[in-house]
Order: sequence, then structure tokens, then C-alpha cells
Amino acid sequence: MSANLTRWLERSLHNCHATQSRTALRLFSGQQQQQQQQQQEVEEDEEFRVLNLRAVKKQVAARREIKRDPVPPPRSNRMAVDQDWTAAWPGPRSFHPASVPLPLRQGYTERGAAAPSKFANAELMKIPNFLHLTPPAIRQQCEAIKQFCTPWPKGLETEEKCKHHFPVEVVTTDFCHSLPTIRNPEARRVTVSLKLSELKFDAHAKDKFLRLVGERYNQETDVLTIVADRCPMRKQNYDYALYLLTACYHESFITEPWEETKSEADMEVYHFERNKAKLSAEAILNWNEAAGETKVAPSQGYAKSVEQLINEGENEYNIAKYKKEVLKMLNIPVAN
Amino acid sequence: MKMFRKHVGSISRISTQLQRGPPTVGSIAGLSTEAEAAPKQERVDEKITEFRTAITNPGGHSPLQIAKFYTIPAEEKKRIFGGGGLPKQYELQIKTFTEACLMVRSPALELLQYIKQADLSKPVVRYVLYGENGVGKSLTMAHVLHYGALHDFLLVHVPWAPNWMKRPKETANATGQEGFIDLPFDAAAWLVHFKTQNAQLLQKLQLKTSKDYVWSKRESTPTGSLLTELVEHGIARIKYASETIAAVISELKQLSTAGQCKVMVAIDGFNAFFHPETRIFSDNKQRVTPDRITLTQPFLNITNYDWTNGVCILSVDKIAMTEGYMESYMPRYLLGKDGFEHLDPFVPVHVDNYTDKEFTNYISYYVDRFWITKTAPDLEDQLKFMSNKNPYTLMQLVRGL
Repeated sequence: MSANLTRWLERSLHNCHATQSRTALRLFSGQQQQQQQQQQEVEEDEEFRVLNLRAVKKQVAARREIKRDPVPPPRSNRMAVDQDWTAAWPGPRSFHPASVPLPLRQGYTERGAAAPSKFANAELMKIPNFLHLTPPAIRQQCEAIKQFCTPWPKGLETEEKCKHHFPVEVVTTDFCHSLPTIRNPEARRVTVSLKLSELKFDAHAKDKFLRLVGERYNQETDVLTIVADRCPMRKQNYDYALYLLTACYHESFITEPWEETKSEADMEVYHFERNKAKLSAEAILNWNEAAGETKVAPSQGYAKSVEQLINEGENEYNIAKYKKEVLKMLNIPVAN
Repeated sequence: MKMFRKHVGSISRISTQLQRGPPTVGSIAGLSTEAEAAPKQERVDEKITEFRTAITNPGGHSPLQIAKFYTIPAEEKKRIFGGGGLPKQYELQIKTFTEACLMVRSPALELLQYIKQADLSKPVVRYVLYGENGVGKSLTMAHVLHYGALHDFLLVHVPWAPNWMKRPKETANATGQEGFIDLPFDAAAWLVHFKTQNAQLLQKLQLKTSKDYVWSKRESTPTGSLLTELVEHGIARIKYASETIAAVISELKQLSTAGQCKVMVAIDGFNAFFHPETRIFSDNKQRVTPDRITLTQPFLNITNYDWTNGVCILSVDKIAMTEGYMESYMPRYLLGKDGFEHLDPFVPVHVDNYTDKEFTNYISYYVDRFWITKTAPDLEDQLKFMSNKNPYTLMQLVRGL
């Protein structure tokens, strides 16, 4: 039945009487009408979209011609020979070929060829230049700031005099950046240095002071360096460093009761006076002397040679010196 | 007793090599070694050449004889160095060349000069020989020892002290002192050595002991007995040998201070007494330090300055130490703090390599002994270059295969 119906439908479509037939169908049954609607949608979908592989070229808009000004000849060509160079190049700036009237060349080329000229030469731009620090420029700037200067203090003409009158050297660092803040954490660091020979010590105080300051003292240069960075402000750190220096200095003159118990093993250097060497030498020199007589003390030269031998370490020179002093002390004649 | 004889045979540096006993010069002549088959008599006659001196008494040596060889007579060599004192290699060379020749060198002359001119009424002066390995410290000491033996010094001679610390024959706990170690065989061997070296002089001087020595319930040495008897007792009763040494040495100190005799102390490898440790183990398997050995005390006692009429010749040697303590040959380093304090003030005497003249003479000596032949024209230069004029290295370079 459905086949018949389809055939009929086709015919009616063909005759463009769709409306009429649909009404008839509606009369025929409600179920059939639904089927017919579905059939119609399928037919509409069967019209495929076109895949166009060759894109259709749009009309390209004509590029606008950028009008460039003609490149002017280098400025350096027009520079006068006696111009004021400080005005032409007033401050630090990377190299600019047209502004520098010098036939500069720089860079690598093949063998035998001349080095690239200054135009479009990255090599010349990379390296720092001092074109702003020509002698006339410096002279000019010095002249300009002279009005702000005060005369140099009398009595501080030489470096030695400065060192003598101002033995303490304070070093701080200021940092300049283009940052929202002008603070730099490193700026709080204060370094106070001082030659130890400027301070007055006795033997005990010096020993104690050196123990107190520990590695802050450089034995080779005799310089004491105190670095303070524990406080947030520079002023506080400076005060703290000076406080440390003062406190250590005064503390070193105090002899604590426990310091008396320092034994030979704690000694940092060998002292002839404290050691058995002195006893032996005295005993030998005063052999067979009565108790009441004045004792002969070992010679200074011998004492020094023993100290040198032990403190400086052994070498042929020290040993030979020691031998010479022993022979002299024991009164043994030496063959020549 | 049999075992004891075997041990006492020799207390030279390398004792294991010398178990058979000291080589006697008489027997050496019979031993016709390798190429040395030439008759001995001829040699003795043509002694005086440009590198030899006929002065066999070291007392007669002066700078004129520097770099020349002198011969130690066979019986003297046997008496003085019978129990050691010459290095093993040199002993071999002596045996090969059938003559005990020593070169007169400046360190020995320097020492002899000090000793001759020394004021013996003053406390004893300690001379310390030091130098690199193999430069002739022991032979310098032997030279001086020979002088002492000929000039009525009683010899207190330790041929090589580190033997006691490194390879003792036997160890036992000391009876007298708690926690101390005895080396009975080594002590007895030393007493034998002392006796052979000084037999004639002890006979002549008739030294007497100053106090009673009670060894046990039944054994004692009364006051006034001869020093020889004390020594004999120590040899016979090995158990008490160490204590006997202490007794003999303290007696010698007293006797020489009293002016009855002169004493020459010669200790080779003295720094062994101050080495941080020994190879001896105690009962609880711990290494013993040298100061816990009974033999150390008497020899430290006699090297102290508190006696007169004597002379101390000590040598400090790198090879007396063990691994890790051999960086330098300098006396302060080798002796350490305690040793330096013990000896200070001492006279250091540096023994150095051969000078050019000494080197040339030594080569001449080897050529004379037919030990090397100068076939290559620049042999001497080559040897000089190879050995750096170091005596021991030279001896090793030209040694037999």
C-alpha cells in the first residue's frame, strides 16, 4: 500500500498539485501524513555543501606606499673643524656614525680586506666609548664645579698625613637604580678598617685583642676590618662597628682571674723565658756554682735563636744560627 | 741459653740478616769472594795512594786528610763494631773488599775537634748528627766511636735504637715498674756489646759500684763490686738485664762525674726514643709508647746534661721514624717537642752528600778495589748525576747484581 502511495505522490508532485494531494492524504489517515513530512526533510538535506579546495582569491587591496624622506648626508660632513665637540656629544651615548667625524673602522672581515666602516657597524656600537670624556670636556666640567669647592685642609697634603690623622677608614656603598624605591639593602653595610699599629697595646692586651677579633685581623697587612650589617640602617651599623672596636680595645686590657691558668700548651708562640730551654741552659752555665753566687743567665742571642728556630720553623739558616749560638754559649772553640 | 746465644749474636741494624753472628775479619780473608781473588798481602803494602792515608788513629786526622780513606785495623773493628755500628750494606762492602775503610769527612773531623778541645769538667755536650737518608751519619758516628775507643773513652753505644721499638726479640712485663715493658734479650745483647767494646778499659780502670743492687732474695750485687761483675750478672740473668743497664748507666754517670773515667755516648737513631708509638703491644693489645719501655729511661738519663767527663754523640734519622713522621730530616721535627727539650742546648752537626773531591776519591777507591772498571770515559759523571753524590745511592748504583 505504501508503495502505491509513494508512486502516487511522485506523480502529484510532478503535477505541482502538492497541496491538493496533501489535503487528500490528511483525509486518508493521520499516520500517513507524518510519514510524508519526514520524507520531505530528507530530500532537502540531500543537497550537499560544496567543498571548494581552490580558495577564491579576494581582491588584494593595493599597498599604501610609505613615503620616506630621503636619507640626509651624515651630519659629520657638515661639522666645522673647530666646532665645540662637548656640545656635539655632551653625555655618554652609544656610538653613532653620522655624529662622529672620525673615519673609524672596526670588525672582522676576510683576510686582506679592510675592516667594515663605521656605518651600520654593530661592533662599534657594542663597545663603550669615552667620546663624552675628552680632556676639554673634563676641563670644562671641572671649571664648572670649582665654585662649589672648598680649599683642601692644611696639614693633610700627603696620603701618609691623612692616614696618620684619620686612621679609621669607613667604607659604605650607595646604590643608584631606576627603581620605584631608592633603598637598597646592601647600602646599610659599613666596613670599618684600621691599622693595628695605630692602637697602643701591651703584650697581654695585644694577645687578648687578637684573640677577641679573631679572623678580622689580617696578619700580613696588620689591618683590622670590622664589617657591620646586622642593623637595618647605615647609621646604626656604623655606631655598632665603632662600639665593637672600642669594646674590644678596652676589654683586652682587663685580665680575668682565669687567664692566669694559661699553660704552655695554650701559648701561641714559643717563649724562651717560659720553657725548659732556659732552665737547661742556666743549669749548664751555672754548673758547680755555689748556691749564693750570682747566676749566669743564658745569652740573649741564644734565647733569640731558640725562639726563632721554633717559631719560624726549621731551616738550614735557623739551625746554623742555633748551632753558632750554642757553641758560643757552651764555649766550644770553632774551627775556621 | 742456646736460644739466647743465637739472639745475642748480633744487634746490628737488620738483625734478621745477621743471625749467623758478626763477620770476623779473619774469616773474611778466607772467603775469596767473587772477583776479589787477588792476594791480600800485596794490597796491604801499597796502601798509600792519593786517596788513602796511613794514619789509622782518628786522633791524628786533620783537614789534610779530608776525603781520604783510612783503614780500621781488623781487631779494632771486631772489638768496636762487632755487635753492630756499621750499616749492613757497608758491612757487606767491607767484607767484599776485605778491609774496613772509612773516609775522613768533615762532619766527623768537626766532631773530633770539638771533642778534643772540650772542657770535660763542664756538663756533657750533646752533639746531634742530622742529614738526609744515606749521607753517612752512622759512618760519621763510627769514625768518632773509633776515636773514643782509642782514647780511653768508655763507650755507651747503641748501634740502632729503633730496633728496640720496631723489632724487639721478646717483650715481657717489667717486674720492677708497673705498666712498663721489658726487652730482656735486647737488653742482654746490649750488655754483651758494652762488654766487648769496653772489656780492656774496664779491666784497666777497675771501676766499682757505689751501692747495693738487690735483684731478688738470693741475688744481689754488693757495694764495691766491679762494674764488670754487674754487667756479667745482667748477661747471665736475662730477666734482670734491663735493670742492670739502668744500674750500669747510673754508675757510669756517677763514676765519670767523679772523674774516674771518661764516657762517650753514641746512640744512632736517637729520635726513636721520642717516637709517638712503637710496634710493641701491651697486655691489653695496645701500642706502647717508647717511654713505657724500661730500656728508654737509662739512655735518656745518660743523654741528660747533669753529668761531666763525657761526650754524647746522637744521630736523628728519618728512617728511625715510621710512616707519616718522615717529612723532614731536621732535628726539631724528628725529636719532637719533648725530645728537643730533652736535648736542648745541643750542637747540631749537618752531614751532607759527598763533595766533588770526596766523590772522585770514592770512585778511585772502587776502581782500586776492582769493584768498577772505568770502561766508559764518562762513567764518573754518569754516576755523579745518577747518585746526586749521595753516598748510599752511589753504593747501591755500583753494587753487585
